[in-house]
Amino acid sequence: MNSIQRAWRSVIRKPVKSFLLFLTVFVISLFLTAGLASKSASVKTQDTARQAVGAGFRLDCNETNRSRRMEEISKKIGEGKEGSLEGVHQKKMETAYGTQWVGWTDNSFDSLKLPDIEKLAAVEGISDYNITTCATVVHPVNFNRIEDPDNDQTRDLGGVTLLGNRKMELDTQVLSGNVTIEEGRMVTAGDEDVCVISKELAGQKGLKVGDVLEFNDYHDPEQSPIYEARIIGIYGTKQFMSPLMGGDTFRSENVIFTDLGFPEKPQGSEGEPCYEHAYFQVEDVKQYDTVKKAMEETDIDWERYDFIDRNGDFATMSSNFNELEKISGLFILVTFFAGFILLCLIFLFWVRSRSRESGILISLGFGKGSVLGQILLEAVLIAALAFLASFAAGPGVSKAFAGYLVNQQEEQAEIQKNMDADKVAKDFEESEQTVTGVEVSVTKEMLALCGAGTGLLVTISVGMAGIVILRKKPMEILSE
Amino acid sequence: MILEAKKVSYFYKSQKDKWILQDVDAVFDCGKLYAILGASGSGKTTFLSLLAGLDVPVKGEICYDGRPVSANGLKEHRKSHISLVFQSYNLIDYLNPKENVRLGGKKDPQKLLSSIGIGEEFWNRNVMHLSGGQQQRVAIARALASDAKVLLADEPTGNLDETTAQEVISLLKRIAHEEGKCVIVVTHSKEMAEEADQVLHMETMKAP
Repeated sequence: MNSIQRAWRSVIRKPVKSFLLFLTVFVISLFLTAGLASKSASVKTQDTARQAVGAGFRLDCNETNRSRRMEEISKKIGEGKEGSLEGVHQKKMETAYGTQWVGWTDNSFDSLKLPDIEKLAAVEGISDYNITTCATVVHPVNFNRIEDPDNDQTRDLGGVTLLGNRKMELDTQVLSGNVTIEEGRMVTAGDEDVCVISKELAGQKGLKVGDVLEFNDYHDPEQSPIYEARIIGIYGTKQFMSPLMGGDTFRSENVIFTDLGFPEKPQGSEGEPCYEHAYFQVEDVKQYDTVKKAMEETDIDWERYDFIDRNGDFATMSSNFNELEKISGLFILVTFFAGFILLCLIFLFWVRSRSRESGILISLGFGKGSVLGQILLEAVLIAALAFLASFAAGPGVSKAFAGYLVNQQEEQAEIQKNMDADKVAKDFEESEQTVTGVEVSVTKEMLALCGAGTGLLVTISVGMAGIVILRKKPMEILSE
Repeated sequence: MILEAKKVSYFYKSQKDKWILQDVDAVFDCGKLYAILGASGSGKTTFLSLLAGLDVPVKGEICYDGRPVSANGLKEHRKSHISLVFQSYNLIDYLNPKENVRLGGKKDPQKLLSSIGIGEEFWNRNVMHLSGGQQQRVAIARALASDAKVLLADEPTGNLDETTAQEVISLLKRIAHEEGKCVIVVTHSKEMAEEADQVLHMETMKAP
């Protein structure tokens, strides 16, 4: 009677022992499959999410370069000299404390260069682009802003904030899902002298779509020319946009979105816009890297700019799902090692409880290899059955497991979002991250990997446990 | 002379200062029933195990048919030269009597079982459901399934009632005399000793 015949009879005629091993291997195999599937699902979810959120690049001014340029121009004007050059101004002021030098810049110095933006927008693969102006403080002429009566307004600029956009739908606040239109429409390219106000401002001050708002320079509210912007929409926010600095000028409810060319007019610098951000939308996210490379090769003065992938949403989103991938990987690792320890213990118990049987077989002239081979065959037979069973249950369990992990990640993201609720308005906001479903599939490769992993675990475990037999003399085994 | 112990000495690794056997000499022939007697702890079972090739002596050697058993390997010795019967039967619990006998060698298990008085109705039963006597008979049948010329039995009647023990003794005697095998039995049983062709005492085999 050979090892296979003995192994088969042992498996069939000792059902409790066989069932326990079956159950153990089944669970290990199932967990490994679920781990592999959810790891793969997380990657797929990332891709899907990336596709859904879209992808793009943001162009900002490089602060280090700005400081360096300012310093260089100031030197050109000359130390101890008053003057203006390339948007940098130096002026001597006599104060009660003596002579003081004041330096400042205007829009021509601070703004992103429109030709550079247009060059980048023309790169193949860019489907659309947006330009957002600097937050521009202006004086509201024919309406009152929202104020907190408890705030000391003496150091406030007494105005409201204008944010001009070429295409409001590509503004970072809109892309992130924080700002949505509740009435009317957004600003689109080609609009002139239009604005979109907050629902709070509209509600408290009785403003509505179609009304015309008047603004002028807050430095000289009495004399400066007045410019009109017609309300075309009313927006709502999920979280208030945090103010750039203290005072009611910058409070979220007093932020008014306008067309791109409007803010410079009441600011008193018509013809000298201040563009703070440019956003370039990638047509096909699969071509993201290619488009990025092409943009980086565009001939512009890159030292002036920071080139940022997307606006932060995707990075955050991606990191969440990267976490999921890590958790899945960790789960696989833990299952593998826990399974290894569990199987080692099971087989150690098996071998020890069958030492008499081993001794009998050895006394009958069977080699230790044959005895161990029988145990391995039994293990492989049971493991193969368990593995097959886990194939059937794998997809369902994997989907449930991956779904659970994704939900956990979403909850985590939600908690993080709440914690970051009052971040500065100009920073990116967390985007809407609703994962409607997790695509989980158990592929042949996964099954092969899982089968190989389980087989390896079983073989190593039997080998480890088999040392008990191998290192003992037949007489010692029998005497046990 | 089929089996010979030459100046065999042995101690267990855990008790190196205590010799279990010292310079034991013994000679065994085919066609005879040998009974090895001795007090508990005298080394009877250890000696039988060395004869069976379950271990090697610390000193001296065991020879089969004039050649040291270690020459062709102990596994080969256990497989081809000897067969073992234990006090506690040592049957494989997930195999039925026929399958247990088949483990011992290529001889027809049904014939062997019939020849030692195990009826057909028991052949496919769970061995654990057989009586002690029946189990020992199955163990003997398993020992007979091989072509081994030496049958070693360790207290084969130790767990049996008087009548059954007598049947087993007769069976072993018949195997020695009719089948020409060398049957070596380690026993406490006076009945067995009386039936044996030669009685060996551990005390006399050991050097003083």
